[in-house]
Amino acid sequence: MTRPVITFENVSKEFKLSKLRVRSLQEMFVSMFKKELRGKHRFWALKEVNFTINAGETVALVGTNGSGKSTVLKLISRIIDPTLGIITVSGRLSALLELGAGFHPDLSGRENIFLNGSILGLDRKEMTKKLDAIIDFADIGEFIDVPIRNYSSGMQMRLGFSVAVHVEPQIILVDEVLAVGDYNFQLKCLNKIREMQKQGVTILFVSHDFEEIQKLCDRAIWLNRGEVMAEGSTDDIIKAFMDIYQSKEGQDSFPQSGVIPIVEQNMVTSDVGI
Amino acid sequence: MVTVEKNAATLVISANKHLPLLARLKYMLRGIVVRLEDLWHYRELIRNLVTRDLKVRYRNSVLGVMWSLFNPLLMMMVFTLVFTVLTPHFDVPNFPVFVLCAILPWNFFSASVIGSIRSIVDNSSLVNKVYFPREILPISIVLANLVNFLVALIALFALILFFQIPLTIWVFLLPAVIAVQVIFTIGFGLIMATANVFYRDTQVIMEVVMMAWFFFTPIFYSLAILPRSYEIWGVSFDVARWVRIVNPMASIIDNYRTILYGIGQGGAPPDFYFFMRTLVTSLIVLLIGASIFYRYSRSFGEEV
Repeated sequence: MTRPVITFENVSKEFKLSKLRVRSLQEMFVSMFKKELRGKHRFWALKEVNFTINAGETVALVGTNGSGKSTVLKLISRIIDPTLGIITVSGRLSALLELGAGFHPDLSGRENIFLNGSILGLDRKEMTKKLDAIIDFADIGEFIDVPIRNYSSGMQMRLGFSVAVHVEPQIILVDEVLAVGDYNFQLKCLNKIREMQKQGVTILFVSHDFEEIQKLCDRAIWLNRGEVMAEGSTDDIIKAFMDIYQSKEGQDSFPQSGVIPIVEQNMVTSDVGI
Repeated sequence: MVTVEKNAATLVISANKHLPLLARLKYMLRGIVVRLEDLWHYRELIRNLVTRDLKVRYRNSVLGVMWSLFNPLLMMMVFTLVFTVLTPHFDVPNFPVFVLCAILPWNFFSASVIGSIRSIVDNSSLVNKVYFPREILPISIVLANLVNFLVALIALFALILFFQIPLTIWVFLLPAVIAVQVIFTIGFGLIMATANVFYRDTQVIMEVVMMAWFFFTPIFYSLAILPRSYEIWGVSFDVARWVRIVNPMASIIDNYRTILYGIGQGGAPPDFYFFMRTLVTSLIVLLIGASIFYRYSRSFGEEV
């Protein structure tokens, strides 16, 4: 069964450098006179990226900082739109990019579960059904009816993770969230992820922990400076990655975090206008 | 939730800039339908954000929901003091009712605009971490203020009873007038929210603009007292007409006052064409606001 659920076709993403972006009328005025502040300070965070992820696969995204991993996750979750190319995502998606994004400090844990569920696109009826399971998994006891601002950061995280995995996603994006939290919580999360794997959930995994990746993932995609460097079995990719890393350790020539300003670009920027 | 169709639709729009006008129009309509479907899918989020807003607003105050009654009543008292005791020549019958039926909709408008402006930037932690239709943020602000406004209307009707002003059948037009105001407010809020993402000065400028706008709107005076002709550099202006044309809020407030207060005698029928013009203006503002917002909301995730 190979049904593609995530496909990237020639996807490129261009960012403006935020330092140089005009943010106020004053800056706009200044930038009229200062040449170096004017336009064209951009870089391509992704350059013609192609890959396909099939239903039920667990795929790891590896690469150094700034190689475009987070950009890929943000594109899949529709937080940002591609500059060029086609992204196709089919199925309910839950992103563990930031646990508990959208929690409101003044609302109780219970109220925040409903709020968070609706941010993920679920209605009240569905959430009511899952409420017990969510509270159970988060394991925060009586605190469930206390405003979130009184929670410890660990409790907030547990609640956030619990909501994200209980909305019955078909695709789940995991961005290094497992690195935080205590040992017990990490173990619980890993077990939950294994359980979801068995249920056929597609998982895209970003982590710098190669041991974890080797345990969990079938396949890996290696990003470097916004381009797909290699794609293959987890072991092969990690081996290749380590080889380069170790052979070039201490040298500056190793792929660095990829901010590559492009002064003149001849790619055509697409534009959606409704 | 992202579906293949939705992405396909977005793609078709973006890839067909050189299509004939008719085909582009078709894709534009398709785009609007997709956005509306998306909005409907996330209706639960709108509801939750509205209740979140109301809960947070009232939870930490002693008087709670009573504030939405007291606040406009206090304002009404100040205006009544200034324009009846301090400046008696104003001479409007039942002045407290006259001013309150304009203050309430104005407060609704002003709070919604100020809230909408900040809505995207204030929720940056949401906007750059999860996908949802971004227009939900300003819309839910307007709706939360609408709930507040409806609660405050109780105070107005109590006051109308107190002054023994006979209400007429025209009071049943109230929902229609409110609907027009909601349309206009959402449209204007969408424009301002977008502007503030790119130029943070917007919220500072708009605080001053809203104060000026308050005075240019017939709140403590009526549209009728504005001069029909005013000479400036030899050119004669119909001030009342221009205020109505330039300022849709003047027309909206005037409609409220006509159906609720009449000329101090309860409600009167609003001029049909005047009402329809206000509706059309509001719809145009909403259309412009929505297209600007949709055009730029694609990059909110990286801008805030």
